[in-house]
Amino acid sequence: MNDSIEDAVLGIMAGHMDLEREKMTPATPLQDLGVDSLKMVEIMFELEERFDINIPDPENVGQQEQQFRTAADVVNVVKGLIEDRKNTP
Amino acid sequence: MKRVVVTGMGCISALGHNYRDFVRRLMQGDGGIGPITLFDTEGFMVRIAAEVKGYHAGDHFEEKQLSQLDRFTQFALLSSREAVADAGLDLKGPLAERTAVVHGTGVGGQATQEAGCKRLFAMKEKRLHPFTVPKLMPSAGASWISMDLGITGPAFATTSACSSAGHAISVALMMLRSGLADVAVTGGAEASVTEGTIRAWESLRVMAKDTCRPFSASRSGMVIGEGSGTLILETLDHARNRGANIYAELSGFGMSSDAHSLIQPLADGASRAMNAALDDAGMEPGSVDYINAHGTATAQNDPTETSAIHAVFGDHAAKLAVSSSKSMHGHTLGAASALEAIASIAALNKQIAPPTTNFLEPDPKCDLDYVPNTARSMSMNVAMSNSFAFGGLNTVLLFRRFTED
Repeated sequence: MNDSIEDAVLGIMAGHMDLEREKMTPATPLQDLGVDSLKMVEIMFELEERFDINIPDPENVGQQEQQFRTAADVVNVVKGLIEDRKNTP
Repeated sequence: MKRVVVTGMGCISALGHNYRDFVRRLMQGDGGIGPITLFDTEGFMVRIAAEVKGYHAGDHFEEKQLSQLDRFTQFALLSSREAVADAGLDLKGPLAERTAVVHGTGVGGQATQEAGCKRLFAMKEKRLHPFTVPKLMPSAGASWISMDLGITGPAFATTSACSSAGHAISVALMMLRSGLADVAVTGGAEASVTEGTIRAWESLRVMAKDTCRPFSASRSGMVIGEGSGTLILETLDHARNRGANIYAELSGFGMSSDAHSLIQPLADGASRAMNAALDDAGMEPGSVDYINAHGTATAQNDPTETSAIHAVFGDHAAKLAVSSSKSMHGHTLGAASALEAIASIAALNKQIAPPTTNFLEPDPKCDLDYVPNTARSMSMNVAMSNSFAFGGLNTVLLFRRFTED
């Protein structure tokens, strides 16, 4: 189940970056892939829609830069939020 | 070239319903950001705004009129009535057609648009109010100002997001210089604290949850404000002939476009607009004392604007007082350049730089003197007001303390 979430998240991200899905690995720094804040906003919108979650904003602009360094960070946040949703009555 | 001066001002914003309250609260650092009351924010990420508080449309307009007046138009009318009265102008008679109205807005009748959508798509109604179109059009403000004040010269709206009023004031200045009009009623209005607008801004992820902290390391984004600002511009000759009170000279304007991105700002575009304003006014960078910054408190704007100021002013940048009054009246979008022009003129008149409030700790990327938290008495002759809009559309206005020579 978790792997399918990872697969879907990476697929969505690859789609936004015009990257082949195979080249989208969890460990690659997003900056190296050319993900800027604008692209990230679009990706977050699609992830929220797909998984029915709300990705919270960071506390301040300093933390914003740290929020998502790699695709794995994005996958982990999405998985956590899906878990939270399941546990919320 | 004809000199143009400011002879009247009016405003309504989170800092009160008139110029006097605006300036008092501005200089006291008494901000107007708070929980949104105009709609239920249950389930919203963004729950704060800089609303116009204690406002009752019925105090100013008849019930029959209100069916034609969106909230943004009401604000545009109130600030324009105040500005014309403040200038002591009688616009009846021959002056009516020598007066222009150029009043901007970023969006226009947003509340009207949303109410219409709700009726059609949520309530499944089949009819909309017959005045929906004339009420929501962005030019409704300019039309109503002309009707309300009996102005028969050129009248229109400008729109360029957060520079809308800056473009309005710039165009009005050009019209007066060219001899097309003797007087201009100019500025901008916005009323965007609506469910749809706040939801849309939420998705952009540039909004603060706590408050607006421009240039501060712990800033978390911008806060939407609403209101309107109106300036009366007049050729110096016209103002002198009627013995008008002169607040300041509008010495120059600069406009540029980034040609870069709908959302991300570019320092080069901002620098070019500031340089264009200095060139237009025939001023050296060293003559500027105070800058009312665009200062939105987003991750992107504040360091970009800071580096643009460094590029234009060089060593003089360290001597400038730079503050963002958005920390108090929020980002009023299409009204921003007008309210901030008024803040700049008030700074010149009072010889006080308004503060950047809610300032906690410096950001290494923002290294200018932002007048943190407390207003500062200082000697100043020239104030610059910056507006750098989404879409990379920039305007910069330069005001000078008025002297006869």
